[in-house]
Amino acid sequence: MGPLEGLLYGFSVALTPANLFACLVGVLVGTVVGILPGIGPVGAMALLLPSTFALEPATGIIMLAGIYYGSMYGGSTTSILVNVPGEAASVVTALDGYQMTRQGRAGAALAVAAVGSFVAGSVGVVGIVLAASWLADQALRFGPPEYFAMTVSGLMLLSRLSGGSVLHAFIMVALGLALGTVGMEPISAIRRFTFGSVQLSQGIELVPVIMGLYGVAEVLLIAESGIRKAHVTTVKLRELFPTREEWRRSAWPIARGSVVGFAAGLVPGPATVLATFVAYTLERKVSRTPERFGQGAIEGVAGPEAANNGATAGAMVPLLSLGIPFSPATAILLGALMIAGVQPGPLLISQRPEVFWGVVASMYVGNLILLVLNLPLVGLFVSVLRLPQHVLATLVLLLCLVGAYSLNNSPLDLWVLVLFGIFGYGLRKLAIDPSPLVVALVLGPLMEKTLRQTLFMARGNWVDLLSRPLSLALLLLGVVALVLPPLIRRARRAAARPQLSGAAR
Amino acid sequence: MVERVVSLAVLAASGAYLAGALALPAGTVARPGPGFFPLAVGVFALAVALVWAAIAFRRSPATPAPSAAPPAAEGRRRVLTTAAVLVGFCLLLPRAGYPLSAFLFVTVLLRSLGARWPAALATGLVSAAVSYYLFAVLLSVPLPRGLLLD
Repeated sequence: MGPLEGLLYGFSVALTPANLFACLVGVLVGTVVGILPGIGPVGAMALLLPSTFALEPATGIIMLAGIYYGSMYGGSTTSILVNVPGEAASVVTALDGYQMTRQGRAGAALAVAAVGSFVAGSVGVVGIVLAASWLADQALRFGPPEYFAMTVSGLMLLSRLSGGSVLHAFIMVALGLALGTVGMEPISAIRRFTFGSVQLSQGIELVPVIMGLYGVAEVLLIAESGIRKAHVTTVKLRELFPTREEWRRSAWPIARGSVVGFAAGLVPGPATVLATFVAYTLERKVSRTPERFGQGAIEGVAGPEAANNGATAGAMVPLLSLGIPFSPATAILLGALMIAGVQPGPLLISQRPEVFWGVVASMYVGNLILLVLNLPLVGLFVSVLRLPQHVLATLVLLLCLVGAYSLNNSPLDLWVLVLFGIFGYGLRKLAIDPSPLVVALVLGPLMEKTLRQTLFMARGNWVDLLSRPLSLALLLLGVVALVLPPLIRRARRAAARPQLSGAAR
Repeated sequence: MVERVVSLAVLAASGAYLAGALALPAGTVARPGPGFFPLAVGVFALAVALVWAAIAFRRSPATPAPSAAPPAAEGRRRVLTTAAVLVGFCLLLPRAGYPLSAFLFVTVLLRSLGARWPAALATGLVSAAVSYYLFAVLLSVPLPRGLLLD
């Protein structure tokens, strides 16, 4: 199927009533969790994952993906209106977006953010179609060594990019890999680290781990900071239209943000967050009036808002073409695919076209729904913030508890949820990002399988792994990403020192 | 100080994991067995943990590790209560069943987060009933019925 045929077929899948409804539910839930501090897209996706068990695979993924990119719209709304970013990818938007609100241009900021997100989403769909089909074609030739190299270098890149120290990220990776080895070993049927527990021999479920790290932990943080009342600005519909000048200034930032965002999405790491920072920096660099940034420059809203949406599209590429997730959000999508019995990987496009094309087309449909619904309903969405926070926090916890229990009807998942919730709270306090843990937990089994296959194929000859150009290149990429930034920093410091001492004299 | 304690705990956990991995049949490099990968992970974990502990102990205690500000006493109390109520729910659910556990969970948590008694009780009652109906009846999740319904 060619790209155009494929997309048309995809729309025929995405526009069936069930899938359209799933898309609508997904983007609405996404918008609301994007607005609410305390529960982000990852926690919400984990929470709703069990509800997709009864659905067709395509329908379930369409809904979960909708939450993912829908949250990017919601997050910008509160950043602009209340200066409270609903999730991390909207922190940058608040810099200029909230200043615009204080100058009475909230409507324009919201409209530009929504249109920018929509443009980026549309560009992203085209990007997915081109990049994923190409990558999947290439990946058909990948063997276990390439997959192993890809997981290793992906985890290295993630450790470098996830913010904070690489050492901490490595500890998270080790913990995730170790947790991934718990349970029945598939080849020999030997139980590993189960301590005689029947339940543990099924392995540690991803969903309670994620709900704990991203749901319960956030609620604990809210409980700590106490209940705050948000001051909500109301926006009238007729204020929503940006002036001609504002449109003119936003056009290029949106275009640049879309491309930058999509590219950032392809890289393992906190793609959506990174994309917004890169886009903001880029806009300030190319701007002829960089001093306006931070004072309510509309470019500072348009670029990053396009970028975070573009990144959600880019992040789908490695998942849909290789079957490898590089972020917690796509890890959940992978989990949903596997539970539905769909084998993700390069064959997905040819073997399950309804899943691949349906999901891709639904992202376009979903972005359209968001554009149409979001602006008129801004007031309604923001009023979610008026809900008392302690009630909301309590109900989120109750939902997490029921959701975790419903996975296997076992108290074990409850304990995993609560323990990882408390653990995740501790990590936040130590300023450690838990996402390498989640990704390592998901990639661990694949890593082990491909490592054993590689060694078996090569009869134990390690060098064989390095003699395949692609796997060598992938491994080198990871190593370079890990080692280069500190070296550059050291070189810069060394270069700066003589100047400093010269100035002192 | 916190960093030292945590790094030692991580070190101990890595050691325990490695010991567990050593007990599994590792096979050879040409024919790796079920213990091969855990062994590699265990060695990696131990190495990283050793480096972390070394850094934590070389750093003078006067320069605090980069971390968020310590919570105020009031905030710490609320976090501890919330965690305790969560653990309580896990213990209570298999014994007392879902409706009662959910009611107590919501009521106690709301009360400790600052709601008044009548509001906490009412919200607890409504959310326990609605969530039971939604999940156990509509979505047929076999939640334990427990004391109230059996």
